Amino acid sequence: MNSQTSLAPAFDATHRWFDPAFFDFWATRINPLWTWNRPRARLLARRQAAAGATTLVLRPNRHWRGVQPGQHVELGVEIQGRWLRRHYSPTVNAAGELEITVKTVDAGRVSPYLAQAARIGEVFELGHGFGDFAWPTAPTPVLLLAAGSGITPMRALLQAEAARGFDRDVSLMYWVRQREQACFEAELGAMAQAHPRFSFRLLVTGEGAPRVDAVAPTQWPALAHAAVLACGPGGFVQAASQRLAGEVTSFQAEAFSAPAPVEGEEGEVDVLLSRSGRTLRLPRNRSLLEGLEAHGLKPLHGCRMGICNTCVCLRESGATRHLLSGQQHDEPAAPVRLCVQAPSTDLILEL
Amino acid sequence: MSRTANRALSPNELQAFGEELDAVRRQVTADLGATDARYIRRVVAAVRWTGVAGRALLFLGAFVPTLLWPAWIAGTLLLGLSKILENMELGHNVMHGQYDWMGDAQLQGRTYEWDIVATGDNWRRTHNFRHHTYTNVRGMDDDIGYGLLRIFPEQRWRAFYLLQPPIAVVFALMFQWGVAIQDLRIGRWLHGKMTTRQLLRVAQPVGRKMGRQLFKDYVFFPLLAGPFFLPVLLGNLVANGLRNVWTFVVIFCGHFTADAEVFPKECVRDESRGHWYLRQLRGSSNIGGGPVIDVLTGNLSHQIEHHFYPDLPANRYSAIAVQVRDICARYGQHYNTGSLPKQFGQVAWRIVRHAFPSRAPAPRPLVQMA
Repeated sequence: MNSQTSLAPAFDATHRWFDPAFFDFWATRINPLWTWNRPRARLLARRQAAAGATTLVLRPNRHWRGVQPGQHVELGVEIQGRWLRRHYSPTVNAAGELEITVKTVDAGRVSPYLAQAARIGEVFELGHGFGDFAWPTAPTPVLLLAAGSGITPMRALLQAEAARGFDRDVSLMYWVRQREQACFEAELGAMAQAHPRFSFRLLVTGEGAPRVDAVAPTQWPALAHAAVLACGPGGFVQAASQRLAGEVTSFQAEAFSAPAPVEGEEGEVDVLLSRSGRTLRLPRNRSLLEGLEAHGLKPLHGCRMGICNTCVCLRESGATRHLLSGQQHDEPAAPVRLCVQAPSTDLILEL
Repeated sequence: MSRTANRALSPNELQAFGEELDAVRRQVTADLGATDARYIRRVVAAVRWTGVAGRALLFLGAFVPTLLWPAWIAGTLLLGLSKILENMELGHNVMHGQYDWMGDAQLQGRTYEWDIVATGDNWRRTHNFRHHTYTNVRGMDDDIGYGLLRIFPEQRWRAFYLLQPPIAVVFALMFQWGVAIQDLRIGRWLHGKMTTRQLLRVAQPVGRKMGRQLFKDYVFFPLLAGPFFLPVLLGNLVANGLRNVWTFVVIFCGHFTADAEVFPKECVRDESRGHWYLRQLRGSSNIGGGPVIDVLTGNLSHQIEHHFYPDLPANRYSAIAVQVRDICARYGQHYNTGSLPKQFGQVAWRIVRHAFPSRAPAPRPLVQMA
C-alpha cells in the first residue's frame, strides 16, 4: 500500500527546472488523459455484472505501468470536490483496457457513484498494480476460494492461466449469498467446459450451500499438496485459513473489510507506520502525536493545536477521531493532522 | 493613534468565546465540497491564463514593434497579477493545507511549491507554524518587523532604526528576498552564533530555488524573445517588483495597524484555546473593500478570520466574517478593519514614528485579573 502514495508530490521545485503541473494544466485542457507523468484512465463503458455489481471498462493513459493478474490498483474518483480512493482487482482485456468489477455498497461513497453517477468519458486517477496475490511458482494443484467480490482477482488469475492452457489442476469455489449476486458465472462455466483441468463450483449460501468452515470433507477437491488462494471478507478468509490449516502446502489470502468505527475512547489500537514498517500500540484517548511521542518517536509537528498543518500525514486506512469535534473519519488515503486526531481503530499511517 | 476599548474577558467568557469560534469552524468544515473545489481550480486557471497572456504580450513587441509600449505595459501588469494571484490566493492558502481535504496531489499543503524565490518548506516553518501560532508575540513571531524594522514601541530602540523609513521602501521592493532568507536567521550568523559553513548548508535549498527563479524570469524567457531580450527582462523585473510591493503592503496591514497589539512571551504559557483566539484577534487587522480586494490579497483582507482558521479555505472567509464580527461585538471586542488607504496609512505612520524613540503604552489585559 505504501508504494501507492497517490498524494506524493509531482516534483520538488527546488531540485528540478520544470513543473509537471504546468504541462498537466495545459495538456489536459486538450485531452484529460495527457499528463506529464500521472497515470489516468477514462471510463469507456459500464455494464451490470450481477445484482449489485457493476463492471467498468477503463482505458489507461500511457503512464500506467500495468498490473499482474491477482494484483490490485488504486482508483481515485472525484466526488463533491474530493478525490476518494479505493482498491480494486482489475482484469486486463485483449484491447489493453481494464475491467473493474465493483460491488455496490449502499452506504458507501464511491461504489454507488461508480455504479450510477460516473459519466462515460469521465477521467479517474489510476495507481500502478501492486500486491503479491499471484499464482504459486511451484507446479502444485491450486484451490481458489472466493467470497463475494473476492472473485475479482480470481478472474484475472484464471484468465491468465487459461491463456497458458491450464498446465495444472485448478479448482475454484465461489461463495455468494444469492444466486443473482454471482459475477462471471457464465464465463467461468464456459472456462470449465473448455479446460478439463479446471473445475468451478458456485456455492449459494442462501440456497443451503455450506459456509467455508462447514464444507464436508468429501466435498473438497484434493487438498494434499494443494496451494490455496483465498479472497473475501476478513471473516471468510479467517475461517478458510482455520479450516484448511495443516492440510494444504500453502495458503495465500487477501481480505477486505473496512473496520467499523468504534465509539468511545478506551483501550489501545495497533498503528502501523508504513514507511518505517513499525507497529505500535497507541491509546485511543490521546492524540496520535502524543501517542507516538510516548514511544520515543519525534514526528514533525508545530502548533499542537491543529492549525499549522506541519504534522499532517496520510492515513492509508483505519478510522481516527477529531479530538475537538469528536467526529470520526475513515476515508482511506486521506490526510490527517497527528496533533488533533486520536486513533479510533487500527490504523496505517504513512510515516 | 486610536485606542479602542477592548473588554478584558473573564475566564468563563474567554472559554465561551473560544467555543463559539470553534463552532464556526465545525460548521464550515462539515460543509466543504464541490463549490470550494471549483473555486480553487478557477484560481489555478486564472493564474495560468494571466501568466501566459502576460508573457505573450511581453513578446508581442518583438513581432509588432509599434505595439511595443502598450503591449509591454499590459503584459507586465498581467504577469504581475498572475504572480500576485499565485503567491497569495493560490500558494499561500494551499500551503496552509486549506485544500488538503480535496485529496488533489497538486494542491497539497505539505508539497506545494510557489512562484517566488522563497522555498515552500521554509515558509511552512516560519509562517504556518511560528507566525500563526505565536502571532505578534515578541521574540517568537519573526514577522514583527522582520528583524529589520521597529514597528512597535515595545521593541527596543536603536540608532539604526532612524534609517528605517528608506529601508522599509527598499524592503518592500525586495520583499520576496526578505521572505526567502527569513528562515536562515542571518542575524545569528552575524552575531557569531552560527558558523559560515552551517549557514551555507541551511541556505542550499533556498539558493537553488533562487537560481531557478532568476533563470526563469531573467534568462529563459528573455532569451526566448531574442533581440527583445531587454524589454522582456525588464517586464519580468517590474512584474516581480509589483508583486513584492503589493504583498508587503497587504502583509504589513495584517498585523501592524494602529490598533494591532504585541504580546510578551509570558502570554502564551499554558495558553487556552479561547486565549489564543483572543490574541489572534487583538494582533490582526482586516482590509475592507469587497470581492476584488479579497481575491487580490489572497483573502488576507480577512486577516482576522485567516488567523482564527488558517486551514479553512480562504473563499469561505467573507461569509465567516459575518459570524465572527457578531461574536466579537457580543464579547465587547474591537473588530479591526478599514479601507486599504486607512490601514496602510497607519502602518506607514508606525514605521516613521517608531524610527524615533517611543514609549510603550501600558499593556492592555486580555483577561480580567482575579
